Amino acid sequence: MSELKVVGHPVTRVDVDEKVTGTAIYGYDLVLPDMLHGKVLFSTRPHARIVRIDLEKARRHPGVVCAISGADVPWTHGESIKDKPFLAQGKVRYIGEPVAAVAAVDEDTAQEALKLIEVEYEDLPAYFTPEEACQPGAVAIHEEFESYRKAPIIVGAPMPNVCEHFKLRTGDTAEGFRQSDLVLEESYYVPVIQHAAMEPHSAHAQVDPDTGQVTVWVANDAPFRALTEVAEALGLPQEKIRLINPLQGGGFGSKGGLKLEPIAMGLAFHTNGRPVRVKFNREETFISTLVRHEATVHVKSGVKNDGTLMARHMTLYWGGGAYSEKSPTVCIRGSLPSPGPYRIPHVHVDGYAVYTNKPVAGAFRGYGIPQGAWATEQHMDELARRLAMDPLEFRLKNVFVDGDTAYWGEQLHNVGLTETLTKAAAAIDWDKPKPAGVGRGLACISKPTRSPTTSNAGVLVDTNGQITVLAGTVEIGQGCNTILSQVAAEELKVPIEQVQVAPLDTDVIPFDASTTSSRSTYHMGNAVRGAAIHAREQLLEMAGPMLEGKEEELVVSDGKVHLKGHDEIALTFGEMIRRKLGADAVLRGDASYTYEIGKDLDLETGHSDHASAFYMYATQAAEASVDEETGRVRLHRLSAAHDVGKAINPLNCVAQIEGGVAQGIGSALHENLVIDENGKVRNPSFLDYHLVTSVDLPEIIPIIVECAEPEGPYGAKGLGEPGLAPTPAAIGNAVADAIKSRIRELPLTPERVFWALEERDGK
Amino acid sequence: MSQTIEFTLNGKATSVDAPAHRLLLDLLRDEIGVTGTKEGCGTGDCGACTVYLNGKPVNSCLVLTGELGDADIVTVEGLKDGDAYHPIQAAFIADGGAQCGYCTPGMLMMAKSFLEENPDPTDDDIRFALSGNLCRCTGYVKIVEAVQDAAAELRRRAGKGQDHE
Repeated sequence: MSELKVVGHPVTRVDVDEKVTGTAIYGYDLVLPDMLHGKVLFSTRPHARIVRIDLEKARRHPGVVCAISGADVPWTHGESIKDKPFLAQGKVRYIGEPVAAVAAVDEDTAQEALKLIEVEYEDLPAYFTPEEACQPGAVAIHEEFESYRKAPIIVGAPMPNVCEHFKLRTGDTAEGFRQSDLVLEESYYVPVIQHAAMEPHSAHAQVDPDTGQVTVWVANDAPFRALTEVAEALGLPQEKIRLINPLQGGGFGSKGGLKLEPIAMGLAFHTNGRPVRVKFNREETFISTLVRHEATVHVKSGVKNDGTLMARHMTLYWGGGAYSEKSPTVCIRGSLPSPGPYRIPHVHVDGYAVYTNKPVAGAFRGYGIPQGAWATEQHMDELARRLAMDPLEFRLKNVFVDGDTAYWGEQLHNVGLTETLTKAAAAIDWDKPKPAGVGRGLACISKPTRSPTTSNAGVLVDTNGQITVLAGTVEIGQGCNTILSQVAAEELKVPIEQVQVAPLDTDVIPFDASTTSSRSTYHMGNAVRGAAIHAREQLLEMAGPMLEGKEEELVVSDGKVHLKGHDEIALTFGEMIRRKLGADAVLRGDASYTYEIGKDLDLETGHSDHASAFYMYATQAAEASVDEETGRVRLHRLSAAHDVGKAINPLNCVAQIEGGVAQGIGSALHENLVIDENGKVRNPSFLDYHLVTSVDLPEIIPIIVECAEPEGPYGAKGLGEPGLAPTPAAIGNAVADAIKSRIRELPLTPERVFWALEERDGK
Repeated sequence: MSQTIEFTLNGKATSVDAPAHRLLLDLLRDEIGVTGTKEGCGTGDCGACTVYLNGKPVNSCLVLTGELGDADIVTVEGLKDGDAYHPIQAAFIADGGAQCGYCTPGMLMMAKSFLEENPDPTDDDIRFALSGNLCRCTGYVKIVEAVQDAAAELRRRAGKGQDHE
């Protein structure tokens, strides 16, 4: 490891030139020849039957090429449950649901035509919280639920509108509570927030009227999964579908699955071969694309006086919105570790993903971990206070360490949690006295990654010695192109400038599962490493006869091969390829990486031998005070210690942590997508939806912990998601420490803090 | 109703036929095909579409084509000096100021303008100046670092040579 030349170094991003010069082409920028412009009519009702829909006037409007509604695109899709129509079919389930669409010669014309579409609704009872939607007697939001096609992970519950029930059963919680000295029960709430990537959503589509070939240009974070979903929905073979991935201006989970693709494709089936662009503006992106799950989390814990955790009982209601999207897997992977990264002998978890009449909830950086952490990590501090124990000491006593068997049945290895706890705490002077009115708090998490999954990669070497990486990982801003270039450069011993990553096109690039779940560095890193090694082996095989040496005498260095001790006679990669394979030939290395989990998750107990290829561990610690006049929280500093296994690019790791923390602070103090009693989003703009700005942030102290994962490339785990997961709970604990009063609902707005102060003072 | 609009774009005389109500942002992106200027909101809230209009930074989503007669417009595409990066571009590259990069063009234009007014800023000055430019990726840390480094380089070039550090 000590001889690593590129990996482990703070290499400059490989994609930054085009980003600072304005030449980068994002999905939103893309202009296709002869392109039409699509616009969408959205539902104005949260839950209603469509009694009548009349497109005739819109179709006759000059400049309109086609106008379509659900009847014209009779297809459905969905990752785990095929419940989502391309356009509303017979009923609408949230305000903002696409009901009809128009393609016209320009956007203004399309917009005018939308006003000519007549829709008549018949309202149905609507539900805006998961708890009310699953009460006995609630009207079904999906009457056809039983008949939908579903993945095997779907477990029903005898309650209305539940699309997934996750169960974890370990030990006997009743017995655990009996053995406890202290039992505490509380409820916590996380509201709906939105990804708010700076690039709004868009998709372009074209259907060849002669061959039926469907091409979609979209910045989707899982192009191969999208391809499969499109093929399944349309009933076409996969080779008839092609996805081309332009650059993505941030996603954070919002740009996976199918979003605008079905609308763009639906229109493109009616334009006689002309491509169609559908762009959502910011307001449309807010009301109609994707949000993060709101969650109500009930926690009951039993603990001994010495701080030993004995039992934890959790019930989580995940508000899924109108369609299932990724709710089932958010429910599973968010509920499973929600009791926290602790040794607890008796654990009982029920997670319910529930349909509501709100915008659709799905993947959001952290995938269910932030919601559980907000509850459990605040609960830990509430327990610690009652036990008169230091919250750090309480956690250190219970936290997972190497060799522990987690409550879901898996033995854990390479656990860097303790180190993240002690380092994050030390960075904000945990043991030093605090000035009056200042509070400190910390929170820790573990996060699994989607498993099992596969990444394939190719590495090309041309006669100029130029290296091209073929990888299906999507550059969403996280820096994957830099990381993968570093891996290829390291294995082929070339300067990183000699490596490029090919554009992502599903017709050319080998399969990859997805750019989600913090899985890419580990899975695709392993695949690219394997492909580069495969290319290197072929080069060495060629070099042996040319240099008249045995393989073990050959040395690869700086894009050349030479005999040990004779670097004055070196063959460049390009020269060898020319001689052996011919002029203009390309040598290709290939590899595939899969982390196999062995036995599947047991759906009755939530147990698994290997729930995840690896776990990401993190602790964040916050120091804060509160303006007692206004209730405004003032963050002083926030440390973030993350176990990344091995930092392939420390600069990039720090950047991921800082950005994640900033999002976490936003969700802690500001962010709340306000949906009123009629199901309408009240703040669909950046004026009213408060993203953190440059003046809202305290000093952020990133700390990289490297507890190597032997199976990961160079020991790496993942890092993309955890940056925001423990942040709100760390801040919540710091605020509670500062004001001696607990707030269990996010965000910690001045108003909420003010009322907590009033309540504390008995006013 | 289209009219012919003439203005200077990145130093070049430009003439376009466009309706007077067309937003400058859409004029640049859709009519002229210069897409470095980004649309983040279209309502003047995020700063991604910041360009120079007659020497001042503006949200190009709030400027109508009809207002442009003889204007001098500079976009991110006009930042480089020949083959050389502007010091702000160079600093964003070196410091990791861009992640997804979508807010970057607006950030660069706003930072350039700010440094023209305040060549020797504190970090807080920079944070305040950029508070109308939203970024969802970086947490602004590396952006502030980059602007500070660009300021130092611009001062060095201007021969003033006073450095905070």
